[in-house]
Amino acid sequence: MDNILSVLIFFPAIAGLLGFVVDKKSARAYGITVATIEFLLSLWLWFSFDTGNAGMQFVEMIPLIPDFGVNFYLGVDGISLFIILMTTLMTLIGMVSMSIEKDVKNMIITLLFLEMTMVGVFVALDAIVFYLFWELSLVPMLYIIGAWGGPLRVYAAVKFFLYTFMGSLVMLVGMLFVAYVYHSLTGVWSFAITDWYALVLPVNYQLWLFAAFFLGFAIKVPMFPFHTWLPYAHGQAPTIGSVILAAVLLKMGTYGFVRFSLPMFPDASVMMITPIAVLAIIMIIYTAMVAYAQKDMKQVIAYSSVSHMGIIMIGIFAMNAEGIGGSVFQMLSHGIVSGALFMLVGIIYDRRHTKLMSEFGGLASVMPKYAVIFGIMLMASVGLPLTIGFVGEFLVLLGFYEISPVMTVLAGTSIIIGAVYMLSVYKKSFFGPVTKEENKTLKDLTPRETWSLIPLVAIVVWLGVYPKPVLDPINKSVNAMLVFMEEKAITAEAKDIIKVPQSATTAGEVK
Amino acid sequence: MEGLVYIALFAPFASSLFAALFGMTERKIFVGIVASTLLATAFIASAMLAFYVHGTGNAVHVTMMDWISAGDLHIPFGFIVDQVSVTMMVVVTLVSTIVHIYSIGYMDHDKSFNRFFSYLSAFVFSMMILVMSDNFAGLFIGWEGVGVCSWLLIGFWYHKPDVSREENPSISPSWAANEAFIMNRIADLGMLIGLFILYWNIGSLQYDKVFAAVPFLDGTVLNAAALALFIGAMGKSAQFPLHTWLTDAMEGPTPVSALIHAATMVTAGVFLVIRANPLFSLTPEVSYFIAALGTFVAFFAASMALVNRDLKRIIAFSTLSQLGYMFAAAGLGAYWIALFHLAAHAFFKALLFLGAGNVMHAMHDELDIFKMGGLKKVMKWTYLYMGIASLALAGIPFFAGFFSKDAIIETAWNEGTIVLWAILVITAGMTAFYSFRQVFLTFEGDERYKKYGIHPHEMYGYVLVAMSPLAILAMVAGFGMKGFEHFVTKLLPDYHMSEHTHHIAWFLGLVVLAFAVGGIVLAYKKYYHGLKRDEQLENSWYYKLLANQYYIPVLYEEFIAKPYAMISNAMWTKVDMKIVDATVDGIAKFLYKTGDTSRKMQTGNLSNYLNWMAVGAVLLLVVAAISAAAIG
Repeated sequence: MDNILSVLIFFPAIAGLLGFVVDKKSARAYGITVATIEFLLSLWLWFSFDTGNAGMQFVEMIPLIPDFGVNFYLGVDGISLFIILMTTLMTLIGMVSMSIEKDVKNMIITLLFLEMTMVGVFVALDAIVFYLFWELSLVPMLYIIGAWGGPLRVYAAVKFFLYTFMGSLVMLVGMLFVAYVYHSLTGVWSFAITDWYALVLPVNYQLWLFAAFFLGFAIKVPMFPFHTWLPYAHGQAPTIGSVILAAVLLKMGTYGFVRFSLPMFPDASVMMITPIAVLAIIMIIYTAMVAYAQKDMKQVIAYSSVSHMGIIMIGIFAMNAEGIGGSVFQMLSHGIVSGALFMLVGIIYDRRHTKLMSEFGGLASVMPKYAVIFGIMLMASVGLPLTIGFVGEFLVLLGFYEISPVMTVLAGTSIIIGAVYMLSVYKKSFFGPVTKEENKTLKDLTPRETWSLIPLVAIVVWLGVYPKPVLDPINKSVNAMLVFMEEKAITAEAKDIIKVPQSATTAGEVK
Repeated sequence: MEGLVYIALFAPFASSLFAALFGMTERKIFVGIVASTLLATAFIASAMLAFYVHGTGNAVHVTMMDWISAGDLHIPFGFIVDQVSVTMMVVVTLVSTIVHIYSIGYMDHDKSFNRFFSYLSAFVFSMMILVMSDNFAGLFIGWEGVGVCSWLLIGFWYHKPDVSREENPSISPSWAANEAFIMNRIADLGMLIGLFILYWNIGSLQYDKVFAAVPFLDGTVLNAAALALFIGAMGKSAQFPLHTWLTDAMEGPTPVSALIHAATMVTAGVFLVIRANPLFSLTPEVSYFIAALGTFVAFFAASMALVNRDLKRIIAFSTLSQLGYMFAAAGLGAYWIALFHLAAHAFFKALLFLGAGNVMHAMHDELDIFKMGGLKKVMKWTYLYMGIASLALAGIPFFAGFFSKDAIIETAWNEGTIVLWAILVITAGMTAFYSFRQVFLTFEGDERYKKYGIHPHEMYGYVLVAMSPLAILAMVAGFGMKGFEHFVTKLLPDYHMSEHTHHIAWFLGLVVLAFAVGGIVLAYKKYYHGLKRDEQLENSWYYKLLANQYYIPVLYEEFIAKPYAMISNAMWTKVDMKIVDATVDGIAKFLYKTGDTSRKMQTGNLSNYLNWMAVGAVLLLVVAAISAAAIG
């Protein structure tokens, strides 16, 4: 299959269109089938991926607007490969676990379209294609929040849409400007990211462009102080919306930093380490404290998402293989764990129609299976070794220590305050006597809920104990990127700070 | 030999998984039996490894597989069985096996019997990883693993509600569990930083590479690394100011207190200092700080034990105090003596706790020693065991503690740190006093429990038999000291007393003994013949100060926990909602308003448009004039 990437993008969308003719009752089974096939395709992508190759693979290029150098240009490397796998996995699992009864068919079709846009973002190597999928992904999510959300859904959906849309418009201006510079230097138009990588831009250009891209990515991440759309979106979104939002959509922002900002503007990135690290540390500490103050279980998870995204941000700007590799791994880990936590909150919401922790208490006595799985995800969330959460967090902190020990200590408080809010959730909801009459008769996990969570538990343990199959390809591509950034950097400061691992220089992976 | 290493390591894991299979079903006695058998297997494998290491003098080093590799960092799952780790393995598996068998009896009425064994074995597995790993990251896996198991086991009876601090100083099992986890996490951050320092200066986290490289490192780097690692050790070993979790951890079932919060997990910090001795011996300032803090904690904890009325908390304070002794020895460079005291302490302290468990079992979970008394009539064996353990703890010749503790106190003299020596001697007296105060109040004097309608009974026979190895070891372990020294100093630096100290060793020993016997005699006089309460003493400020643990838990709550909650709440309601989010909405509203206002310009009236055009033209002219002037 030469054009596996196009298939991965368009299969769910085409299947989604065909879904209109499927009758209501079988819509769900249809959606799950399509998502399963899509997931198997992405697995196939992984198995045929050449782990010895650090560059782009499965490259496809179809000219769209040749005069302006816009091509349907796709490819994957070690960095994007696993994010794609996570996207297809979380869509599938989200669909299996979904408890929505209203307009199931519309929801399935929306999810399949959303899947197209998400996969598209992560495989696009052309800035225009990237931008198109990036913006398109807003629409299904807007619809999911607006149509299936809670009482404030319209406000939350519009806020989500306008906020992120505004940020990406600025990013679009940045993209057009890069293309213009490329044209004025080389005489040809190109929107191919790989062409743009070759551009060596003066530092002041880099800074302005970095700022333009930053706004687009930072709102998506969301970085402090642009994060306030997220609690509203999560608060109003149905469970499936929150799962996809936390697991995949947020990763677009951090992925953007790795794909665009770092390799295109290495000098500006190095100059921006401190300001971004400061924002990221505020994100980590401040939102963890806000999470602790929440009374609503879902809001705790929502704010904890922001806090963990701070760890990812700080790792990206560690400028060494440990930090960036750890960051990419942490994106996967956060996707799996926060996705699972949102699913778990959804499960109790379906039973009690409330997310307030004061309504719970003693759930461990009545729902032991639920408590065990929640406990495992909690431990992964606070970064317990041998769970998926530790690997990324450890590597990020280790990597950033080389940049600044003091800031690493501050960011490292995440392992303390993370435990504070998560354990407090667990204590309030699961421990103590069962005080509320309604809770005494709660049913433990149904088979469907159990079987949608078990794969996630398995991944949490598997990649915690043996992260090598995932970490190796990531590491390879990150090494190649660092070699390239170091060569391209023009300021002495950047050359000094960007650290190429010895293993990458001696093994001759320089491409 | 490799096979034995894996058996020792994975038998507890298998036990945990097996018990977990039945975790949600009612009590099945065979779960306890299978778990105990697997643990005994791990003990036998450890003992065989110990013979091998002892016989050949070689270490067994295995690498199972890669764990994390990114950039230049490569961390394998590697295990090393050398003189230090094999000592820990034998101690851990021996005490664990006994505690497992003990728990079959102790937990027999608990509906979560199977779950208990799953947690307990998981703890042993984590502890084995901690002591066997051949690198710091592997140690950290075990380090966090024991933390989680400790959290699970302290909060084992999670269904109990929170009560006021007056009613129960630990508030509730789940509260105590969270406190323990969070306090340990604070220290773990220090530990992580220590790992980062080592990695960026050495390029590896493997013990052999790190210890080979430390002599070439800069002094400040070494000090920073040693201090950071020690902060990690302070959490796990509950050193001041991170000590409050240990006494609250007594909310867990008593076998847990015996295994985790006395014999094994809390000694992990001491183990770390011993393991990293090549680093700590190069940092005399940090080492001296460790010794001084250890000595302080020894005294500080003993002082709180003097007045406490809670059977388990007294032993917990005594554990704290003995950990202080171990750190004092390790800080002064006598690593093998610290390790010896660690092992001896594991035996007699586990015995003491299990004895306390028998008393609790008999007294229907009553813990107040003021409500006991005269139990010797019904619990002869338990009395004997606790008596032996207390004699060992007090350092009476020729019980285990006599040899190990005396050596530590002698070291303090030998190093010329007379202040530390004096404090440790006084503490030895206090130790003897509170130990026997507890024993006498529990077993001698009038039978105060009758007032509360309790009918105590002796523990099951097989449980008493299972405890006997600990009792024997508490009596005779001291005689193995010479052999132990010979064994472990193949790896650890040997520590010899100076000629001068050697000459007066008998005198130093006599001073310590005088204090110890003095403590026992005082306890005998005051408490042997029953409890006579001294109202005046109990109302004095210093008694209250000690009884309230120097008010430190209250201070932590008032000055850390409550302000944190308050600030968090303010961050959310004031900053996040009112400032950050309101600004965003404000900007959006502003854009909307301006759009709304400027919309009114589009009236459709041509003369209005012409007016606006004129205004625009004038503005442009002005701008052009200004810029021309600026350029010109």
